[in-house]
Amino acid sequence: MDYKLIWWVFALPLFGSLFQALGGKIVVDTFGPKLGRRICGALGVAPIALAFLIALPMTLQLMRQPESERAVVLTLFEWISTQAISIPFEFRVDPLSMTMVLVITGIGSLIHLYSIGYMAEETDFPRFFTYLNLFIALMLVLVLGNNLAMLFIGWEGVGLCSYLLIGFWYKDLKNSAAANKAFIVNRIGDVGLTLGMFWLVVLAAQNKDALGIVDSRWLSYDVLLPQIGQLLASKPFDATMIALLLFVGACGKSAQFPLFVWLPDAMAGPTPVSALIHAATMVTSGIVLLNRTQEIFLASPFAMNVVALVGAATAVLGAGIAFGHTDIKKVLAYSTVSQLGFMFIACGVGAFYAGMFHVITHAFFKALLFLGSGAVIHAMAHDQDMRNYGRLQKYLPITYLTMGIGWAAIAGVPFLFSGFWSKEAVLYNALNMPDKMSTFTIAGLTPGAFAGWVGLAVAGMTAFYMTRMMALTFGTDKERWRDLAPAHHDVHAHHDDHHGHDHAHGDHHHGEDTEGFFMTDEEMNAQVHAHEHHHELDQTHEPHEVPWTMWAPLAILAVFSLGFVGYAMEAGHWLKDWLAPWGATEVKTAKNISHDMLTILSIVVGTTGILGALVAYRKLPNSEGFDLSKWNPLRRAAAASFYTDWYSNKGSGMLASGVGAVVKLFDVGIIDNIVKAVGSIFGVLLSAIGKRFQTGYVRNYALMMLVGGSAIIVYALVQVMGGKF
Amino acid sequence: MENTGLGILSLLLAVPVLGAIFLMFIPETFERAIKGASMVFSLVALGVAATVLSQFDGRSFHFQMMEAVPFLPSIGVQWKVGVDGISIWLVVLTTFLTVVANWFSYYIKTRVKTYFVLLQFLQMAMLGVFVSLDLILFYAFFEASLVPMALLVYIWGGSDRAYAARKFFIYTFGASIFMLIGMIALAMQMQKVTGAMTFDLVAIQAQVANGALWANAMQMQTVVFWTFAVAMMVKCPMFPFHTWLPDAHTEAPTAGSVILAGVLLKMGTFGFLRFCLPLFPEAMQNAVPILMTLCVIGIVYGAIVATMQDDVKKLVAYSSVAHMGFVMLGIVSLSSNGLLGGAYQQLNHGISTGALFLLIGLLYERIHTRKFADMGGLKAQMPIFAALFLIVMFSSVGLPGTNGFIGEFLAMMGAFQAGMAGAFGLNIWLPVIAGTGVVFAAVYLLKMFMQVFYGPITNPDLLRLKDIKTHEIVLVGMFIVLIFWVGFIPTPL
Repeated sequence: MDYKLIWWVFALPLFGSLFQALGGKIVVDTFGPKLGRRICGALGVAPIALAFLIALPMTLQLMRQPESERAVVLTLFEWISTQAISIPFEFRVDPLSMTMVLVITGIGSLIHLYSIGYMAEETDFPRFFTYLNLFIALMLVLVLGNNLAMLFIGWEGVGLCSYLLIGFWYKDLKNSAAANKAFIVNRIGDVGLTLGMFWLVVLAAQNKDALGIVDSRWLSYDVLLPQIGQLLASKPFDATMIALLLFVGACGKSAQFPLFVWLPDAMAGPTPVSALIHAATMVTSGIVLLNRTQEIFLASPFAMNVVALVGAATAVLGAGIAFGHTDIKKVLAYSTVSQLGFMFIACGVGAFYAGMFHVITHAFFKALLFLGSGAVIHAMAHDQDMRNYGRLQKYLPITYLTMGIGWAAIAGVPFLFSGFWSKEAVLYNALNMPDKMSTFTIAGLTPGAFAGWVGLAVAGMTAFYMTRMMALTFGTDKERWRDLAPAHHDVHAHHDDHHGHDHAHGDHHHGEDTEGFFMTDEEMNAQVHAHEHHHELDQTHEPHEVPWTMWAPLAILAVFSLGFVGYAMEAGHWLKDWLAPWGATEVKTAKNISHDMLTILSIVVGTTGILGALVAYRKLPNSEGFDLSKWNPLRRAAAASFYTDWYSNKGSGMLASGVGAVVKLFDVGIIDNIVKAVGSIFGVLLSAIGKRFQTGYVRNYALMMLVGGSAIIVYALVQVMGGKF
Repeated sequence: MENTGLGILSLLLAVPVLGAIFLMFIPETFERAIKGASMVFSLVALGVAATVLSQFDGRSFHFQMMEAVPFLPSIGVQWKVGVDGISIWLVVLTTFLTVVANWFSYYIKTRVKTYFVLLQFLQMAMLGVFVSLDLILFYAFFEASLVPMALLVYIWGGSDRAYAARKFFIYTFGASIFMLIGMIALAMQMQKVTGAMTFDLVAIQAQVANGALWANAMQMQTVVFWTFAVAMMVKCPMFPFHTWLPDAHTEAPTAGSVILAGVLLKMGTFGFLRFCLPLFPEAMQNAVPILMTLCVIGIVYGAIVATMQDDVKKLVAYSSVAHMGFVMLGIVSLSSNGLLGGAYQQLNHGISTGALFLLIGLLYERIHTRKFADMGGLKAQMPIFAALFLIVMFSSVGLPGTNGFIGEFLAMMGAFQAGMAGAFGLNIWLPVIAGTGVVFAAVYLLKMFMQVFYGPITNPDLLRLKDIKTHEIVLVGMFIVLIFWVGFIPTPL
């Protein structure tokens, strides 16, 4: 099989996206909303599934190659090429990229399939698939690109798609605000990544002779990475700075403390998006970056320790906040934040493969949980509050069963489910971090061991809050939505009246519309008003199991959340050997704790969490009901995300508008007025001398320029004279 | 003094002049004929520019297609034109944006003839600036471009147009007076060194390069440098000389804003590349720290002020201050990547911001307001317009894969390299602070998009609004093609 086919893996989703953008609406209009949307949906799934079918045999072929031949670079064209640097548009087929390609296209096609059902009522159906296909294409660029600039195309590109999809339901400004927040917070990380790239370029260009690099593709992995470890070994400061700058980028995209604040808000997007982008793929980009550039990180033990501790902090914070939320998607969002922390712990102790291991298992079980929650939300008239759920296993047996498997995986039910294996790999490597990699100790522990113990505690917390989520949704004593008041159905009619009223008003403010910018009355009336179906949850609601397009992906994901996946990857260090890049330094682990001991501890912690939650949530406790004043203060703080949201929304907003107002005042009030004032002072003087000039402002500015220009020249003179005045 | 006769570049300048003269003979009442003829002439100019481009040898770093005809031999002034790798693209950009301006000016209703005559003259002056190889010739075109632009603002502008036009004129005119003095000083220095007074840029460059011109004249070099630099800094505009820009941009008619942002600002950065760098090498290097500081202030400051605007045009105007800061950042880093990035970014700013003003103009023709408060929810009414706007906005944000990325990336990289190397007394903090400008760009542009397109429709006037027309989609579509084309295949590099 020719590796050039990899271009098709990228091109298919891209063309799919173009098709949906340009032709999607035509298809829907031609075939009618129902059939049209199905055709569009099928054409949305097909490119991703095809890409998967190309990538799968290619990966198998790659596996059969000897280890040294497992990296193929393909160049499409020169992208940026100057005398000082060359950045081609090039892909790299190697174990890391192909592993991610399989995850992206595999889980991606399942989620596309699911979306057909989930979005069936959506009038803007093609737009959704445009964004979703584009996301896949750009995510593939991110993982397949052979240089950091290509990675950056994907990096910012998936940020764009994330922005578009979070704000998909744009009529609600809350969603748009969440979308903006996601893009902006990500951009903060991107600046770090960019600066890290620049630093690498400077370093590589300066040392090209010492390294014997003749190629000016400084940012390309095959040029840069084999040399960089050796180079950075003698430059600890550069190593630490570059590693930390790259890590800032990773923190933005992978929602690590303190840049995690955008991810929970991102749940404003449709649920399939949360599953695909904000759980399974995009948010793991940071781990991919760290895996890619692991030589750089390994050259700086300090940066590694920082990574591990930030990971631990994020893990515990995310888990803590998850306790306080009653919105099912928010719980899953914070659990994602927490699980991403685990992955960073692994990277921070040098077990990069374990980070990827958790990326893979997490991709399956978290996508499963999100899609399951989507099925629940779909069945519950788009209500996301778990306080209104209860006993849903009766109505949604398939969702219950599949989500149950996802729950078992994330809660760490031993051996039989995948999450247990990857979590054990993370914690084992963390607790046994070699001493020589630690640059400081915390309470006598290495940063890795500290992160590991924190991780173990978080595993217990995870078991508890995930069991809480499952219990409140599917279990407990009663169907709580039966207690809701009946919905007001007359709201709708009133709303329509209101619309008609507005239309009648429409043309009052315009005179003649000679250009035909506005609709005439006939056109206005001919417009088909798409009725978006808003059925609200009330006591008469009867939940129904979702259609097959939605439960089939759940079932497939559930199968891959079972323990055999984790076992296959861990047994005989298969994944570790597969991902081992060119000459990566083998990190020898110390022996602080044995595998068996850790397994026993994990089981104890996990079981405690699960049993505790089962006991606590036989019914919805009053202390977590709708009356927030009855909540335990700590849980109330968790519900408010420990005020991180306040800082990131209100606080930064206030700071920004304060600074902005001052600066704006400065611009108009000071700078512009200085111009005017200086001008008018001279103007008064001049007009006293002779009233020849008639235009008031003109001479003022002429004078201002004279004064300003003279000032600069005086400055220049001073500079020249070297202060001899 | 050499005399090569006139060639294709003179023809390029002649086309708009002929166009203007032709338009003068069409009676005022024949509006369609005037608009049509003006369009034809600008298309011809675009064609000539394309021919120049096709004859241009991209591998050479020298001036090409030079034409020289003595003009005032007694004081060494001549008609001397030519293009190099920087100006050729600005010439193409100018002719392209003039076509766009003509196209959009379909909406002009008052004093149609005067308008299009001015547009032709404006094009002539702008092209003249980019191809002049004689200082006095350059100065004449530089000033000549002001008049039609100021008049466009003054006659067809918004409510506060008189103030804006005057401010614009005085600011830029006042600053360039100093440059004229500097030019004369330069010519006299040439006389001192070579014995003959000349304003010939090529000759002066040769004397600078061999070190003769500024031997033992360092102080003079610095003073003359600053006379040029101030004129260019006002034109760019760089902080703190930027306050004319928001007023002029906001009050100008749409075509005026497009040309102002797309071409006129580039005269400032172009001037730095054409004069300040090659003619005053030592003075330029000494000025790097202060210039780069001003760039970085401009980037952050422009962005913060942009965030606070309630008027969509003002927001884009302030964003220009920030974006031009990036162009200058690259140029004053004096590193190979930075210069290239700056030179490249000035073209892309022309495309992105030109397109943004065009889109805002399309909207303004319909709803006659620029205030965010009167907008909101437009995506539901105008999905195609929203999609086009989104692409243009992200090219302005500098998303990789669009035109806005490469220049900004290289300019920042150049500044970072200069900072890391400690060249010219720089350190890495300035480029790092400039990096925050990238975040700010997302803040204000996304805010703008949200306020215009998202949310519910609150203004009942908008409920009858139709999506933009096919010919308008084609017009904007040309920019979209450029955005991706230049983003992936950066030929001018």
